[in-house]
Amino acid sequence: MRVPLFKRLVLVPTLLLLGLGPVVLFAGNATASGHSPYQTTRKDAGTPNSTIVKKNASGVVISYGDSSIMYNAPSSALDTLGEALFMQNCASCHGTKANGVPASGTSGAYPDLVGLGPATIDFWIDSGRMPAANVRAIEAPRRFPRLTPDQALAVAAWVNSLDPSYPDIPTPNLAKANVADGAALFALNCAACHTIEGDGDALAQSTFAPSLRHIPAFEVVEAIRTGPANMPRFTGNLSDEQVNDIVKYVTTEIQHPENPGGFGLGGLGPVAEGFVGLLVGVGILALVGFWVGERE
Amino acid sequence: MSVDVPNTKRARRQAKGPFGSIGQVIDELDDRLGVAKGGRTFMDKIFPDHWSFMLGEIALYSFVVLLATGVFLTLYYIPSQALVTYHGSYLPLDGMRVTEAYASSVNLSFAVRGGLLMRQMHHWACDIFVGAIVVHMARVFFTGAFRKPRELNWSIGLTLLTLAIVNGFLGYSLPDDLVSGTGIRIAYSIILSIPLAGSYVAFWLFGGNFPGTAILPRFFILHCLIVPAIMVILVGAHLGLLVRQKHTQFPGKGRTEKNVVGSPMFPVFMAKTTGFLLIVTGVIALLATFAQINPIWQFGPYQASRISYAVQPDWYMAFLDGALRIWPSWSFHSFGHTIPFEVTIPAVVLPGIIFTIAYLWPTMERLVTKDNELHNLLDRPSNRPKRTAAGVAVLAFIVTLFFASSTDVIANFFHVSLEEVLVAMRVLVLVTPLIAYPVTYKICKELQGVHGSGKRKTPNAVSRTSEGEYVATPTPVYVDDVQHELEPTEVPRFIGAESNEPEELSGTRVVDR
Amino acid sequence: MSDHEQRTPVHLEGLAPDDPHLAFASRNPQQAERVIAFMFVLGMLSVAGFGACYWVNAKPWLLGVTLGGGLSFLGIGLVAWGKYLMPRGPFVEDRHELASSREERDALAAAIVQRGGGVIKRRKMLGGLLGGGLGIFGVVAIFPLLRSLGPMPGTTLDTTDWKKGTFAVDITGRRVHQGDLAVGSVLTIYPEGLQETDRGQAVDQTILIRVSNESFTTEKGRESWAPKGYVAYSKVCTHLGCPVGLYEQELQILVCPCHQSTFNVLNGAVPEFGPAPRPLPQLPLYFDGSGYLRSQRGFDQAVGPGFWERS
Repeated sequence: MRVPLFKRLVLVPTLLLLGLGPVVLFAGNATASGHSPYQTTRKDAGTPNSTIVKKNASGVVISYGDSSIMYNAPSSALDTLGEALFMQNCASCHGTKANGVPASGTSGAYPDLVGLGPATIDFWIDSGRMPAANVRAIEAPRRFPRLTPDQALAVAAWVNSLDPSYPDIPTPNLAKANVADGAALFALNCAACHTIEGDGDALAQSTFAPSLRHIPAFEVVEAIRTGPANMPRFTGNLSDEQVNDIVKYVTTEIQHPENPGGFGLGGLGPVAEGFVGLLVGVGILALVGFWVGERE
Repeated sequence: MSVDVPNTKRARRQAKGPFGSIGQVIDELDDRLGVAKGGRTFMDKIFPDHWSFMLGEIALYSFVVLLATGVFLTLYYIPSQALVTYHGSYLPLDGMRVTEAYASSVNLSFAVRGGLLMRQMHHWACDIFVGAIVVHMARVFFTGAFRKPRELNWSIGLTLLTLAIVNGFLGYSLPDDLVSGTGIRIAYSIILSIPLAGSYVAFWLFGGNFPGTAILPRFFILHCLIVPAIMVILVGAHLGLLVRQKHTQFPGKGRTEKNVVGSPMFPVFMAKTTGFLLIVTGVIALLATFAQINPIWQFGPYQASRISYAVQPDWYMAFLDGALRIWPSWSFHSFGHTIPFEVTIPAVVLPGIIFTIAYLWPTMERLVTKDNELHNLLDRPSNRPKRTAAGVAVLAFIVTLFFASSTDVIANFFHVSLEEVLVAMRVLVLVTPLIAYPVTYKICKELQGVHGSGKRKTPNAVSRTSEGEYVATPTPVYVDDVQHELEPTEVPRFIGAESNEPEELSGTRVVDR
Repeated sequence: MSDHEQRTPVHLEGLAPDDPHLAFASRNPQQAERVIAFMFVLGMLSVAGFGACYWVNAKPWLLGVTLGGGLSFLGIGLVAWGKYLMPRGPFVEDRHELASSREERDALAAAIVQRGGGVIKRRKMLGGLLGGGLGIFGVVAIFPLLRSLGPMPGTTLDTTDWKKGTFAVDITGRRVHQGDLAVGSVLTIYPEGLQETDRGQAVDQTILIRVSNESFTTEKGRESWAPKGYVAYSKVCTHLGCPVGLYEQELQILVCPCHQSTFNVLNGAVPEFGPAPRPLPQLPLYFDGSGYLRSQRGFDQAVGPGFWERS
């Protein structure tokens, strides 16, 4: 069949574009220019401004906080276990001295963990993001954790022992929290990335803000205080009382929404509503119309 | 009634006349208004039965639901941006300073009995209303029902679509929640972007800089009074023209340009259409029961420095949002003035072009086809391949823009980079119409060649003769099939009679009702 | 229907008694009637149930199910009645010629042209004056509809409330101190006293980011604008005005959540991707003697989306 030249000139390039488009789309995630994965700025991550400060016999702070959140340093008795676990699970990337220089020698390729504080280490391991599944991915997603919470604490204890820092492992007191203040703070500080319903979304350059539907309370505090990966850290700009309020809001309203109006449609807002309204609403009514009318 | 009627039941009944009380009512009305002849013609009006003619009814009845539920909502909603302290059953808002509009909407959802159901029915009905208009418009377009003499009705319908979209935007902005408030901010900036007059129109419409306190009361009046009033008038004109010019119909047995074949208004069509109204209302209510829509309590009140991610507008505005996302940042800045083309073109010029083409389409088609005849018979879409292909291409363009407004949701769902999705959308929005046109054209041409396409298939009864020969004879399976082979006939005229015995006039029979 | 009732017999003209046009579509009318009756009964009970649920203040989903289900059943029954238990037709009616006859059209045209023309021809000046008056009224009638609605923009869009020495406060009104933010922290700040006002939130909102421990230069000429690594940009997106609240710490970018414009924090919020046309204006900051954060002066350009008068 002879295809006219014009049609050929138009069809071929558009088909090529359409064919190559998905290839480009799914060609795998390119690394963001110039940044290696998981790099965090650290040091000087905010000093505790708390009413309660407990020190041990040598004058080292072992816990601090107030009635909203108490932060506890992990016990030094866990150091040996932590070191063993670290060598087993983490040293191949982060190096035997946890300073980001692996045994194979390429220094600076993986983050230096020394001085990040126990809460940082605990958060990454407890949420299953570390040990990393795909070391070349831009962001490590939440997975089922490879180490138990006690093991995570032990690793955090050992890494912290190399250069003790803050923040320590938090325990929020949700009974004292005000969920209304938490809602207001969440809307101003968190919704821009995590969406107002807490479902997370894709951010720029292959990064993602994760969903908040399955995160335990203490991890929320850890994330807010340490600012993992691309998340900014909130240190002096949010008091413990405010962080506690946010945690209460996340663990109650975000994770257990009332949804009195029916199924929540995934919290996607008008996008999901549009699909349901058109496909289900107009669709069902058009089918009913098909029954009501004739086919000729 | 004469005084000397004996007081028996039968005598009184006979004195009323052969048609009883209804006959008397008609007498009284006709004395004053002369409605008998017109009423009779109205009852006999024929409505074609094709299922695709029901799509406009979906729109009409969801509009009725909107009006009814809307009246309920206006009794509880307070269109004021004055700040009040919310004290109600939803704890995350307790003690918060919010606008009265927001507080009254949350109260409507939680404290008013049936309030949440009405609110959700209203919102779902709006999504379905605009969707049904679009589907109905597509049917009208692809079957050529907009041709002479119905060009005016096409324009009225397009205006109704525009007003429906605008009213939907005004309506979901009324509760003053975080998501819709962001939409108002974007609308303000779009108005601002209009060259020369933008800042003036924006300041006048909003009573000053964003946000001001005037905008919600104004949206309220527009949404509840001005736009619905215009829409009711236009719907009335739309239906009036339909009654005057009579409905179009597909070609078929006994159907010509000069008649209408179908069911009479009373009782068949009235029964089916009233039933359809009930079903539309029922489906909207069921949707409002099982699918939550616009949970404003979760979004929180609008404050200008708050924002949420994944804020798309309602679906009928999403094609504008998609255009705004994918348009490159072409801003013109020179001689001390700025024209933000990255806003003006996708949000003002593009919809302007689309709707202008739509309004002018009947005229353009008449010029191109040089066809000035009256058309009461519809086209099968495959018989007009160029028009169908052009319509599909435009639809493909708009649907791609619709998908372009969910770039972040797509990137999140498929775990790809946001930038790649955006670039892909920029390519797709140009490529999909270019592909849709020739593909649709080809499909139409193929369908034209298929014998008996669009007609119902008649089953054949295959029987074997005693000699072993197989014979296939067409056979109707259902009563329906017999009916479709009938020539249409005039609506039978009912004439009154008092005797109980059937008369043996030819062609008359007595029907006991 | 009961056979004992008296019914008014009527006569039909034009169709034989057993004409197929008058037949029902249903093959089994008794069965169909039973099914439709059942639908109606279900609908009745459901709608009554709606009343009962409303009376006892049942949950919204119960109200919805009873109402929706009830109306749907009633509707299905009614449509089925009209479709299966009424005369099937098809029936036909003629379309009357829409157009009037040539004579009637000419008569109308003649009435307008001759009567109107005759009047105007004789009183041309009156016609012109009337037209002028009504035309002017048409124009000035629009004035109150537009101008009374709001003020003239003037220079309102060109400035914010950040002036020399304005204290930066957060949403609770607390002044920002130099020890407040760690590197990688972000905060929304407003001019002191305006954090709860519309203008403060919509126009003056500014995003404060700590990018380093030492003073930071984003662009030439802005060496003193970011003391101790505190960088402040207008939070109003230059595309369509959404608050640019999304900060990615490692990539050092601000992303606008509405249409995903991406701004580079380190070089003056220059847009790198997306539809935003201009960088976010940067607010020059300094720390006063007590360590509180204050603005050196206002923004050097109008904040927010573009408009005609923006120079």
